Amino acid sequence: MSKAFLEIRNGNFFASDKNKVTNVNLVVENRGEIVSLLGPSGVGKTTILRTIAGLQKIHSGEIKLNGEIISSDKIHIEPEKRNIALSFQDNSLFPNYKVIDNINFGKKRSNGNSSFKTEEIIKILHIEQILNKYPHQISAGEAQRVSLARSLVSKPNLLLLDEPFSNIDQNLKEEIQYSVKRLIKKFNLTTIIVTHDSYEAFSLADKCGVILNQELKQFDVPYNVHHEPNSIEVAKFLNKGVFIDVKVVNSDCAVHSLRHKELGEIRGKLLGNFPSGANVKLLLQPEDLIHDDQSKLKLEVVDRKFRGTNFVYTLKTEKGEQIPVFVHSHHIHQHERSEKFGIKTPIFIDHLVCF
Amino acid sequence: MSKYNIWFFSSLTVALIVALPILTVFSSFFLETSNYFSVLKNTFLYDYIFNSFTILFFVLIITFFLGVTAAYFVSFYEFPLSNFFSWALILAFAVPSYIFAFSIIAFFENYGTAFSILTYLFGENNYNPYIPKLDGIFGSVLSISFSLFPYVYVLTRSSFFYQSNNYIEVGQNLGLSEKETLFKIILPSARPAIIAGLALVAMETLSDFGTVAFFNVSTLTTGIYNSWLSFDDLNSANQISFILLVFILVLFSIEIYSRKEAKYHQPGRGFKPIQKIKLNTKRSLLATAFCSIVFFISFIFPVSQMIYWTFKFPKYFQDIDLLNINLNTLYLVILASLILVFVSLVINYGNRISKSKILNYLTNFSISGYAIPGIILAVAFITFFSTLSEVVSNNLNFKLTKDLFIGSIFGLILAYFIRFFSLSFNGIKSSYEKINNSIDESAYLLGYTKVKTFSTIHIPHLKNNIILIIVLISLEIIKELPITMILRPFNFETFATQAYVFASQDLLEAAALPSLFLIGWATIFILFASRYILSNKN
Repeated sequence: MSKAFLEIRNGNFFASDKNKVTNVNLVVENRGEIVSLLGPSGVGKTTILRTIAGLQKIHSGEIKLNGEIISSDKIHIEPEKRNIALSFQDNSLFPNYKVIDNINFGKKRSNGNSSFKTEEIIKILHIEQILNKYPHQISAGEAQRVSLARSLVSKPNLLLLDEPFSNIDQNLKEEIQYSVKRLIKKFNLTTIIVTHDSYEAFSLADKCGVILNQELKQFDVPYNVHHEPNSIEVAKFLNKGVFIDVKVVNSDCAVHSLRHKELGEIRGKLLGNFPSGANVKLLLQPEDLIHDDQSKLKLEVVDRKFRGTNFVYTLKTEKGEQIPVFVHSHHIHQHERSEKFGIKTPIFIDHLVCF
Repeated sequence: MSKYNIWFFSSLTVALIVALPILTVFSSFFLETSNYFSVLKNTFLYDYIFNSFTILFFVLIITFFLGVTAAYFVSFYEFPLSNFFSWALILAFAVPSYIFAFSIIAFFENYGTAFSILTYLFGENNYNPYIPKLDGIFGSVLSISFSLFPYVYVLTRSSFFYQSNNYIEVGQNLGLSEKETLFKIILPSARPAIIAGLALVAMETLSDFGTVAFFNVSTLTTGIYNSWLSFDDLNSANQISFILLVFILVLFSIEIYSRKEAKYHQPGRGFKPIQKIKLNTKRSLLATAFCSIVFFISFIFPVSQMIYWTFKFPKYFQDIDLLNINLNTLYLVILASLILVFVSLVINYGNRISKSKILNYLTNFSISGYAIPGIILAVAFITFFSTLSEVVSNNLNFKLTKDLFIGSIFGLILAYFIRFFSLSFNGIKSSYEKINNSIDESAYLLGYTKVKTFSTIHIPHLKNNIILIIVLISLEIIKELPITMILRPFNFETFATQAYVFASQDLLEAAALPSLFLIGWATIFILFASRYILSNKN
């Protein structure tokens, strides 16, 4: 059996009574994988990163890197000996050195043997113009990019990024995210990114861990985390839909079906084992229902939000359930509040996520 | 890391050394009182307290008025020489109050400088009855006020500087007049800084020895000195010290509390610097006149008086061994500041990397030395080491303890250490706190050891601040009088002791030359330090 690149076994991470994560089991099988840790602020994501970096001791359990224990109850390799780079969320640049000198500090770690071209990293991160400035002369977003550059040129075994794009302007963010991902992949650099932004986590990572209520709730590929959340908590945290009460009508065939009092039959692939006749809660996401003016199934519009590419309509059932529905913003026929909104029937949803 | 490591013991040692005078004074309170103290209690003690507090009361009123008004003018208005006054008013720090007192006497005494000026202007006559005699409590109040008002000025000005223009604009938007803005917005938000400044003034006033001794005013400090020197009664001296120390520690607490409050007034995001208002001719004249008068009285007047006398009596150029005094002063300044900065760096670094709460408490205790007046420190120092010497010589047959600590450079430096450790420690701490912890962690992650992080990252960052601290310590030591006078080796003179010795022998004209040198050195140090004090970053 080949050894995993990074392994956390029964890890308990502790910063304070409120800020702790217990019983974490996480395996990064291959070098070069990008893992994102997603969760609300203050849940303990940064504590995990700091512990992996060696800045904090693990409370219990163990962390192995390349098969070697770097943190456990008994072993604690000092941070300077781990060759793990951590790019902090706040400004951690050395204040009395220019930006270029800060970046070169990273080079010293790699003894100048870094296969990463400093110039390339500087260019990708758009920091050519500020190389001769001091940290107090640059913006928070620029400081974050310089910190990232310093971490990258140090050619670490493992790269840890704590909310690396949080201060970067929106118009630059996506471009930099894409370039950094390309760079990480090019150099086969195993990376763990901590973020509270699910779009960022899904778009950057090969695997995504969701941390809620002091536990790692789900660790899976982003597609599954989004479409097949394994608990109501994860689904609620991702905040991408609502739960409605339905009855399982048929769970034996290839295409399963559920029934909702107003929406009628809902077909798709039911995840999990539920017997026919069971009352369950179905996760309904905004992209699941399709608008159709000709449909006989109509619900009342209680709200409409313009989101650029989409309108998000909020529809109300007679029972009072409020259901979000995406409609492309180019759709000519718009509905006002209190108007009726048609939904295409029969409803078909790829994955029927029920609890 | 174990709780009781090298950092713990270093901090504990420093805390114990700095606590020596306080512990000595407090323990003496529980010792038996001598006859002299009983007599004193029924006679002069209340006079001491009354005089000390009368001086304190008037000094506080005057320094408040001078400091706040000057700070208000230079912070909010543009008028002729306003930029010059913004730093020039600090120069008053260069003139210790006892030298200001020499100048007052020299100017207003019978046949003094005022008399010469009147004679020169209006011909010979007996002007003496018309020249006011500014001595006693009145002279002390004036001298101390004009030399200490910069405390209030500097802190208030810095608080005004950090007041965001947003508040003032909101006030105007809500219909407040200029006067209402001053009293309802500007002054209330500068209140913690003003109180911190006044608390410092109060501590220095109660600690003053040179001025009141020169004017023959009986206060708690002269009481301590006389009990020790005239009555050879260290115990009584320590008991008066105890009374004074209680008052001082109350003021010290007020100062610390106010400083903490003042932090809430530091700028955050959205800070907008104050837009200075250009004054019209009439009002700008008033502002210029006010600042000119304060600058003239506090700095130009004593300096001119000392220059006048120095050149009127040139024989003292030969009589006073200037080279030796310069070297002595330099020697003390360099030795003390290097030791202080080194120890402060070590203790600060230990606190930073060990993150121990006990260490924090210990170092907080260490900074109390700053509150102890020089005279109390010196007397307590003698008391402690005399007792220690007795114990050691009785038990270990070692007789040199007293000589090692009293009347020696080593003892003098140790006393300076106790007095100025907080200045040095806090100065370095404030700069250290600006280095985010994640910066250290980044260095570790880049493969730097703790020692290398200290030398490569911390020291270059602290460099400027270390220089500033050395300058400030030098300034304090050069002006320091009671500790140096009491604990110095025999025949070892600094400018302060030389000036005071001459002045107390009624040889004011001889005191002028060392006083002038003292002011000259202090001015250089202040000009250097003011670059930092007045800069926007500090």
